[in-house]
Amino acid sequence: MFERFTERARALVGAAADEARRREHPAVAAEHLLLALLADEDSLAVRVLRDAGADLADLRARAVVAVSAADGTSRPFDSADAAALREIGIDLDAVRAAVERAFGAGALQPPAPPRRSWWRRQLGGTFNPQARKILELSLREALRLRHRHIGTEHILLAMVRDGRGAAAETVVAAGVDPTTLDQFVLNALRPAA
Amino acid sequence: MSHATELAAAAGSSDPRVGLRAVRALRRLLETLEVIQVDNARRHGWSWQEIADALEVSRQGVHKKHAGRPAVGPSKEV
Repeated sequence: MFERFTERARALVGAAADEARRREHPAVAAEHLLLALLADEDSLAVRVLRDAGADLADLRARAVVAVSAADGTSRPFDSADAAALREIGIDLDAVRAAVERAFGAGALQPPAPPRRSWWRRQLGGTFNPQARKILELSLREALRLRHRHIGTEHILLAMVRDGRGAAAETVVAAGVDPTTLDQFVLNALRPAA
Repeated sequence: MSHATELAAAAGSSDPRVGLRAVRALRRLLETLEVIQVDNARRHGWSWQEIADALEVSRQGVHKKHAGRPAVGPSKEV
């Protein structure tokens, strides 16, 4: 699949890995991909975002904020987890109290998700599940649009089209409607008359 | 409906969303407890084989899953 990536798309993925490494984050996340995508101002992805009405400076500032949260720590247990466990008769507070008695305050912190190594072998970086999903979806976006290549524009679509996840939320917050991006990609790819 | 009644109704519901959400939370809790207890066993000097036997899993399995984390130092109490 990676052989279908354009040179620009490969550079984007490599830049995301560099970004994660530079920040000493344990894995490349969707937020690193977004930051790398925005860094290449001449890419089709950035052109599409500009056409779709994004304020690039604002978006970049938001992406920088989002990326600092992508440090690989896992989400702590929240009230939804506690409620779900209560449904089956487990008192999360009681479990937490028992664990903290033995191992100290804050001991009940969920571990970071396990990592797989396929993308690491391809690129020399570790990718978290969201980032891997985006790269996998970029192939699907290319196939859907009947494109033989996977470019930065397909990575962008894969990142934001379902509107979920930190990168998508950042783009939406910068004023882009993810449901219209398709059209901007097709317009950008249409040969100039 | 009171909070308690709502909960009781949900517990008895066969809604897959409710059931699967509980499984997901339970799996996170299980993974969390496993990490805490495996690290603790290592701090107490347990071998991977001993930990695997206690968990009734293979030594390779427990090593693959847990050996990649930063090494845990020996417990000060030992």
